[in-house]
Amino acid sequence: MNKFRFVIPFFAFFLFLSCASNQDKKYIASDSISISEFSSSVELLVSDTNFLEEEILKINAKNPSVQRILVNSDTYLKEGKLIQANSELERALRITKKESAIYLRLAHLRLIQGLTDESKSFASRALLIKEISSWERLLLNVYLKSFI
Amino acid sequence: MKIKLTFSSLGIIVLIILFVISAAVIAIIDTRVTNKLEGVLWTIPAKVYSRSLDLAEGSKVNKSNLIRELEMLSYSEDKYPSKPGEFIYKKNSLKIFLRGYEDQKSGLFKILFKEGKVIKITNQLGISEDLIRFEPIAIGGMYPSHMEDRILLNWSQVPSILIDTILLVEDQSFFDHNGISLRSISRAFFTNVKAGDIEQGGSTITQQLAKNLFFTSEQTIKRKAMEAIAALLIEFHYSKEEILLAYINDVFLAQSGKRAIHGFGMGAQHFFGTSLSNLETEQIALLVGMLKGPSLYNPRRNPNNATNRRNLVLGVLQKGRRINLSSLEEYRARPLGIVSASFRSETKYPAFHDLVRLELRKNYKDSELRTQGLKIQTNLDPVLQESLENSIQNTKDQLIKKYGKKLVELEGAAIAVDISTGEIQAVVGSSNPSKFGFNRSINAIRPIGSLVKPFIYLTALNKYDKYTLTTIMDDSKLSIMSGGEIWEPNNFNKKFHGNIPLHVALWQSYNIASARLGLELGYDSVEETFNKLGISKSIERYPSLFIGSFEMSPFDAIQSYQAIAADGFYSPLRSIRDIKNIKGDIDLSYQYKIEQRMRPEPVYLLKFAMQQTFISGTARGYSRKKIESWQAGGKTGTSDDQRDSWFVGFAGDLLVLVWLGFDDNRATPLTGRSGALEVWKNFINDIQPSSVEKNSFPRIKYVWTDKNDGLLSGEKCKNSLLVPFIIGTEPNTIPSVRNRCASKPKRNQSDVMKKLKKVFKEGQG
Repeated sequence: MNKFRFVIPFFAFFLFLSCASNQDKKYIASDSISISEFSSSVELLVSDTNFLEEEILKINAKNPSVQRILVNSDTYLKEGKLIQANSELERALRITKKESAIYLRLAHLRLIQGLTDESKSFASRALLIKEISSWERLLLNVYLKSFI
Repeated sequence: MKIKLTFSSLGIIVLIILFVISAAVIAIIDTRVTNKLEGVLWTIPAKVYSRSLDLAEGSKVNKSNLIRELEMLSYSEDKYPSKPGEFIYKKNSLKIFLRGYEDQKSGLFKILFKEGKVIKITNQLGISEDLIRFEPIAIGGMYPSHMEDRILLNWSQVPSILIDTILLVEDQSFFDHNGISLRSISRAFFTNVKAGDIEQGGSTITQQLAKNLFFTSEQTIKRKAMEAIAALLIEFHYSKEEILLAYINDVFLAQSGKRAIHGFGMGAQHFFGTSLSNLETEQIALLVGMLKGPSLYNPRRNPNNATNRRNLVLGVLQKGRRINLSSLEEYRARPLGIVSASFRSETKYPAFHDLVRLELRKNYKDSELRTQGLKIQTNLDPVLQESLENSIQNTKDQLIKKYGKKLVELEGAAIAVDISTGEIQAVVGSSNPSKFGFNRSINAIRPIGSLVKPFIYLTALNKYDKYTLTTIMDDSKLSIMSGGEIWEPNNFNKKFHGNIPLHVALWQSYNIASARLGLELGYDSVEETFNKLGISKSIERYPSLFIGSFEMSPFDAIQSYQAIAADGFYSPLRSIRDIKNIKGDIDLSYQYKIEQRMRPEPVYLLKFAMQQTFISGTARGYSRKKIESWQAGGKTGTSDDQRDSWFVGFAGDLLVLVWLGFDDNRATPLTGRSGALEVWKNFINDIQPSSVEKNSFPRIKYVWTDKNDGLLSGEKCKNSLLVPFIIGTEPNTIPSVRNRCASKPKRNQSDVMKKLKKVFKEGQG
């Protein structure tokens, strides 16, 4: 587990470089990352789904009302009540569609439900949200890659 | 051997025969009693509800829509809300006494708004609340043939004041008799003999319950006798508590069109719009008072009779010391507080109900829907639904005024969905929306006209290394052989436009340029886009496909536009949110599904061109600020000979599609612009969707280009337009005539293009 924590900041750093808003810089930076290296590192990161879930559930919504709903959803998720967890996430989504924390949980939930393609789509959809942190972007990329 | 029939033996035989007949009659009655009490009475029709509105900090709210919803929920305005169902809206705050629903408790709440959003919610103690939920509106049900509607209550849901009132008014010796009260019967007998008619009933609660089992109200000696036997049998089989609960769930309270309202649970919903536990004493007195004559004391039809009867029952409660004298005066002074009538047949919204029923039949048997008390929460937004219905009706009236009586038979269909989740929020299937019958939203399969063009242009824009928004299209005369005949498409204005940029060809909806583009792309390529957008029907390989001969229902058409409006993320349209069983547990959830069918960037470019419909094209008239805040875009469609008028457009979170035409397919005087677009505008102007934040497209870059030649231009140049490009695909040539006003690009296109291709090849993110 500890070795993952050591690796994560490096991913975050590289990803930050690759996703910088200045497009000119972006393509220069993305050239400096080996995609295969990135993919294998991500696979390493996600080999422990419990750890991944822990990280996902740490991502809070900026809106406190939405965050309360996410807490309910997280509780249902931990209890294995996936339908209820999903209902809460959809409830949050009706309040705002601009919180990546909701999409991250939806991507994770779909993965647990065995719906890998949907999981990827939710992650991909979240990447369209503005003001998304590099760490969130990295986690979303985890769901974009085929694994498990 | 001779048998001697003596008088006594004959008597014995007669007695035996009578005994056998009586035993048979009792057995039959017993079967009916037990069947009803253990079967039919507990068969509860599935009920269909609108979505329940959640308000939380950050929720987008349109004040007038919220007030409309409160009116539809029969909330009344009161300066000092103190009872469930009251509210006051002042400046930017709403004080509301919620009735309570599921996990939302009844109580007083204050909601503050700022710039179209909720900024704070507090309860009556001033403590912040994160979220409040309004009750949904009952919009229909799945009824058995007898159309009995009820909400089944258990003991814990029955308030003690209701039990006290029923016992005091209907049967004071309920817990002492065995089904029949001789004292009550003799009192009624003497009264009736005196009057020479049946004026008073001596029925106990058990007898009244028995009476309902025989589905008749005729007052004959035979029926009375059967009723008495049934009452005795009920008392034999069931406890007093079980009998009372069955009575509370079964009494007939009102007829609402075809629906028969049974039981106090449904009665509370039908007359007060809330659950029984939320009722005040005088409201319970009214319901109990109605038992004497549900029609005579119906508070909607005969409010004076109902008020007098209620006050009489309150007097009985006071005499029975259930309320004191001062409360009696207070309760009597209160208005009846009846909410407006809900749906009178199977549903209030037939077209939406059709979609729900179609969806339900995939997972439930008809008998399950009609008997198991399922609770179906849909995605219907009642305010949007009412507005969409009004928009179709009002626009038709306007069109009749403009074009004359030839449009009296004009029909229409419209659907409104949430773009990203695919939730169906409103559906209209007729120009007379409350009429049952042919639902055009799903059953009218018509040529979609120019609504097909965005599919062709999207096919091109997906080939981003070949097509951009400024790629030059040829809109000169086209003549090709098709099916052994010469095919020569025409533009709507019968003119040719020569060379024009791709985005202009789309928002101007030029037929020839579109046909030429379709032919260039090929049928396979176009069909692939159709499939990605969710169109499973195979295409007919005629060039007329590219200018709108393709036929679709409004429902299928809006589904294919959903993926466009949602930046390439396809979500199957859903009318139902979830289904709960009678215990309140989720039985089936129609969860949000998305599937990325296309890269978002080419879709973004298409949406830009569709936005021009509002800025420069057929839907112009909205301010630039409004168009930007809604991220609006749309497309008109008109089929051959103007038989069909279409418009599909997105604004805010809403995607709305409208179709107008005649059922017999005759020509109309309408185009997409003069017909369907008018419905769309009336609806959107009424609803005023909230603004949406732009998504992030880091691979998109805006460049000034010339509106005619599509080449580089500058902000200061005449006839220039800021156009989006996928980075690396933007033009890099500035014609010499614009050297002065335009500036040169700084980057070498080919290098960036290589990088772009590499990134696209290696995956997103």
